[in-house]
Amino acid sequence: MIVIQPPESLHELEDNDLDALMADLVADLNATEEKLAAEIKGLKTPSPTTSDLPPPTPASSAASSLPPPPPQNAKPTKEEIEAQMKADKIKLALEKLKEAKVKKLVVKVLMNDGSSKTLMVDERQNVREVLDNLFEKTHCDCNVDWSLCETNPELQLDRTFEDHENLVEPLSAWMRDSENQVLFQERGEKYEVFKNPQNFYLWKKDKRALKDIKDKDKEILIQENFCGTSIIVPDLEGVLHLKEDGKKSWKQRLFQLRASGIYYVPKGKTKSSRDLVCFLQFDNVNVYYGKDFKTKYKAPTDFCFVLKHPQIQKESQYIKYLCCDDARTMNLWVTGIRIAKYGVSLYENYKTAEKKAAVNSVWMNRSTPSSSNPSTPSPTIKDPAFPPPPPSLPAKSSSRPVAPQHKLPANFPPPPMAMDNLPPPPLPPPIDDSPEAPPDFLPPPPPAAGFGSLPPPPLSMNSLPPPPHFGGMDQSLPPPPPDPEFLPPPPPEPVFTGAGAPPPPPPPPPPPPAQAAAVPRAPVRPSGSVRKVPPAPPKRTTPSLQVGGGGGGGDFMSELMVAMQKKRGDH
Amino acid sequence: MAITSFLFVPPAFSSTPGIGTLLCQICLLHFSLSLSPSLSPSMAAWDLSVTVEDLGPDTPPVSLSVTSDLHVGGVILKLVEKTQIKRDWSDHALWWEQKQCWLLRTAWSLEKYGIHADARLHFMPQHKPLKLGLPNGITLRLHACYSSPVFQTVMHICRMLNIRHPEELSLLRPIEEKKKKKDKDSTEEIYDLTEVPLSSGTIHSFSTSRPCLYNGMPAHFADSPQMEAVYKMLSVTQPPPAPEVIAKQYRPASVVDKAHINGRWLDSSRCLMQQGIQENDRLWLRFKYFTFYDIEPKYDVVRLTQLYEQARWAILLEDIDCTEEEMMLFGALQYHISKVSQSEPQMLSSSAAMDDLESALQSLEVKMEGESSSASEMLVETLFICFRPKRLTLKGYKQYWFKFQDTSISYFKSKEESIGEPIQQINLKGCEVAPDVNMAAQKFLIRLLIPAPEGMNEVYLRCENEQQYAQWMAGCRLASKGKSLADNSYQSEIQSIHSFLAMQKTNSSSHGNAPANDESINTHSLVSPRYHKKYKAKQLTPRILDAYQNVAQLSLTDAVMRFIQVWQALPDFGLSYIVVRFKGSRKDEVLGIAPNRLIRIDLGVGDVVKTWRYNNMKQWNVNWDIRQMAIEFEGNVNIAFSCVTADCKIVHEFIGGYIFMSTRSREKSDVLNEELFHKLTGGHEAL
Repeated sequence: MIVIQPPESLHELEDNDLDALMADLVADLNATEEKLAAEIKGLKTPSPTTSDLPPPTPASSAASSLPPPPPQNAKPTKEEIEAQMKADKIKLALEKLKEAKVKKLVVKVLMNDGSSKTLMVDERQNVREVLDNLFEKTHCDCNVDWSLCETNPELQLDRTFEDHENLVEPLSAWMRDSENQVLFQERGEKYEVFKNPQNFYLWKKDKRALKDIKDKDKEILIQENFCGTSIIVPDLEGVLHLKEDGKKSWKQRLFQLRASGIYYVPKGKTKSSRDLVCFLQFDNVNVYYGKDFKTKYKAPTDFCFVLKHPQIQKESQYIKYLCCDDARTMNLWVTGIRIAKYGVSLYENYKTAEKKAAVNSVWMNRSTPSSSNPSTPSPTIKDPAFPPPPPSLPAKSSSRPVAPQHKLPANFPPPPMAMDNLPPPPLPPPIDDSPEAPPDFLPPPPPAAGFGSLPPPPLSMNSLPPPPHFGGMDQSLPPPPPDPEFLPPPPPEPVFTGAGAPPPPPPPPPPPPAQAAAVPRAPVRPSGSVRKVPPAPPKRTTPSLQVGGGGGGGDFMSELMVAMQKKRGDH
Repeated sequence: MAITSFLFVPPAFSSTPGIGTLLCQICLLHFSLSLSPSLSPSMAAWDLSVTVEDLGPDTPPVSLSVTSDLHVGGVILKLVEKTQIKRDWSDHALWWEQKQCWLLRTAWSLEKYGIHADARLHFMPQHKPLKLGLPNGITLRLHACYSSPVFQTVMHICRMLNIRHPEELSLLRPIEEKKKKKDKDSTEEIYDLTEVPLSSGTIHSFSTSRPCLYNGMPAHFADSPQMEAVYKMLSVTQPPPAPEVIAKQYRPASVVDKAHINGRWLDSSRCLMQQGIQENDRLWLRFKYFTFYDIEPKYDVVRLTQLYEQARWAILLEDIDCTEEEMMLFGALQYHISKVSQSEPQMLSSSAAMDDLESALQSLEVKMEGESSSASEMLVETLFICFRPKRLTLKGYKQYWFKFQDTSISYFKSKEESIGEPIQQINLKGCEVAPDVNMAAQKFLIRLLIPAPEGMNEVYLRCENEQQYAQWMAGCRLASKGKSLADNSYQSEIQSIHSFLAMQKTNSSSHGNAPANDESINTHSLVSPRYHKKYKAKQLTPRILDAYQNVAQLSLTDAVMRFIQVWQALPDFGLSYIVVRFKGSRKDEVLGIAPNRLIRIDLGVGDVVKTWRYNNMKQWNVNWDIRQMAIEFEGNVNIAFSCVTADCKIVHEFIGGYIFMSTRSREKSDVLNEELFHKLTGGHEAL
């Protein structure tokens, strides 16, 4: 179950894992990167910090296995650059230096059905990107609840990673013999605060009133608390049980959550702010759910949460255990702490996830009707849909292992070039994947069944689950399916979908995404426009509907709006 | 019974042109008419006496022979002719003392106004000097309009001061200062803005639009060095006040105390004269509605600065409660803000490294050399180390040869052995760093809590002297955040540690006089008086320094924004209190008015017992006869109360004002909807 393995032990992996990894690795070895890295002396002796998982080794080995094609293409370009400007080169070199230090992990992710998927995650990838990657591989419905979770069986803890977190960093804190796991699960509590903000911000009101709350009021709550100059933390206050240091006893304390930390009211003092004692601040701790603490620590209930430094993996006096009376209280606190700790990132993550889900649902809706059609037409249609691959595709499909690398230079000359000019580090992953996808893409048509549980040929597994759906879809809406596959990072997708609306998107599509990728999180606009098309998967969208956004209800705000509009009319 | 109901009806009347221009037109009109002297024969002439301010206080009133059908414009004309003074009278108007109103409708006849021979009229300018206390505590003298509703007067003032969104501010009567001695009042520096020409016209379009700047400031400030000084005062934060100054100021001790200040707000729908404000009186300008819309640091320099000042004083005077940790953060931010604003303010925004080739090259150099250990990114020194000290003695310390590289420290038996494997290497990334310093005892300890799978390891490093301590401490701080010594903030980190050590030195030696010298800010200047008693300055210093490390990298604007954000995140932020008596209740309770809700505070319990949100509000009514407010919420919730510490107009205006604030949004036009404001906040007059 261990997730982290040094690349040397790759041969120990199962076959299909290996294939997946190979694909990822190849992707990593962007031709340009390779050369540049080689140029710089510092490269071969990469950062000391990455010593536990030496990324350079795989890189160099991979390079040696297929040296001819990349060099040819790359070296000339490089000389050109040299000729152009030394400055450019140095900047580039710097980027590459950073690149060389990038830490990569092989991560095994457990699925709900007990199966697992193995992926390569690099230091710069955040959880959102990894989730997007998993969406492609699993073909799930992409709803906002899908999360990556980390479990610690020894401490009986788990938590969901936040989408903006980098995955490699927390995983690096695990010990070598750790039994910790990474799970891919739907966790409703992750974004519950945005679906039902009233349960957190008006938790003191009676439950019936909260249930009947209008969507517009929810919207107002989100506006008030997440869209102002400052993020507002729910005002939580209540008696919790605190496990006493080193003992198995629990004592009660009146705790209060504030943006600056958790406080408690000392005995005999008032609740006034100035008397509060700081229990802990959030800079250096994460919040975890505790499992089955009644048995393990004799907790009063099983609704426990824990605060600890992410590096701490074993029992320690530095772990704070808290116990609530019921599940609702526990969720209130854990969510409140997350809001205090992560602030606006949480809301941004949600908006991104929501967009992702919306785009996906458009695709799903379209695909279901069309999927009834025979998949035969798909191959013919594919070509128009993905113009770039065709020429080189056949060659690749014939020889899988080596093919991908060839493809890079041959197929996509523009992307590498672009990279040379603007070296943003985040680029490589997306680009790598996109070249990769085409080859996988071609073979699949026959194995229509192969998705999900059955990874047919090892290779197809990594990025190819969708093909079946694809075929059907192509007719009505070719782009959506490919986009996840092709260009996993968010930016490309929108571009694709946008282009997809007109029937045949000409060759250009791939390159623009590559450039767009320089801006890490771009999908905002395009997906927004797309979102309106579907029936209505995510009802509460976002900022566009503001206070009294014109809804018809006879309530206060809307009346005001009417008044204002009339007034303007008068003038 | 006069009951005003506030439902939402579109305003029926449209705005009138500026009063000044109207008056001018009418004067001209009547100049031509008066050439043919005509008193209607049916009307009897009578004497009207008018005091002309410009003739001096001792001059008796001017007596005019008028008839009841003469309009006000005609009266003014006669008056001007009679005084025989040639000057610009366009700003002048008649004020009717008994009725406390301006006769601004110059076309109205005396009869229509109901003016008879017993009326005492005053002829005076509508704009007069006013002493304005700003949120930063400085007094400004400027010309304010005494005849238009306060809402508009505030708009004029804010326009002059370059504060956008004037609807968020208002005027209030200052708290009387107890004058124990005849001190400083005479020496108090007053900035004078009375020379600024009264700009008439497009007030409306100003309210939210961006002013065009000249030399980084509005054009009227660029006229003279004096004006530039005024702008600097407005736009640059004030240095921390001396602790005695803080201690001397009035501090509310309870919610009820805090409620009293809200009785002082002026009525936005009536003018200054009507509220008894005389020429050269003092008023405070403050942010009243705590919803700060569309803050744009580029255009809101003065607005942000004054907002920061108001927030800072609210914290220092405990107008809003916070915890000790929060107070330390506020202290650290104040220290940082005063430090950066005293140094070159322009230099702050340039933190985008890597942009130019220079820095890229430099960085490359460092990186390359990093492999071969350059001095610039490595510290090598003999230090003492102690693991898990049992007691705080110096006993457990052992001496080693230490090396600090990247984010790790390693130590060796001796310098000679430092080529080989270290005894141990400790990565500081993610660790907690705390100082344990006593300048007097020359104790320089760095306490490290280093996370490990088994828990946190506590390690102390002991340095020999201040210099060594500052370097290693700065290194540890950066490393804990994952930055190496090569980071360009390393030197400034060292600097700030030095200056905090210096503070400790001066505090421990000479106590009391706290000059504004940057190196020696008294930490008591940064926290509320409560902490003056609780901690000595030298105890406070390390706590503030501790909080300071998290904010030391912020630019001036970011630090100001951060201060405002932390202030806004306080649970009690935005609450304005009023003591009220709920219908059917026999005791006083407190109503808290927030931007989005009302709360009811039981003084006995001392806690919030009920919350009502505005978005559930259906309507509210004011019964002006019995001074009672009644509010209806959805779900048949009705509340009614009378106000004890403030007029019910003030409460009504607060609620209506917040409703108004919530109607602002970007999609709508940029023009401030003044009439809606009056509709929502006015009294009977508005109906």
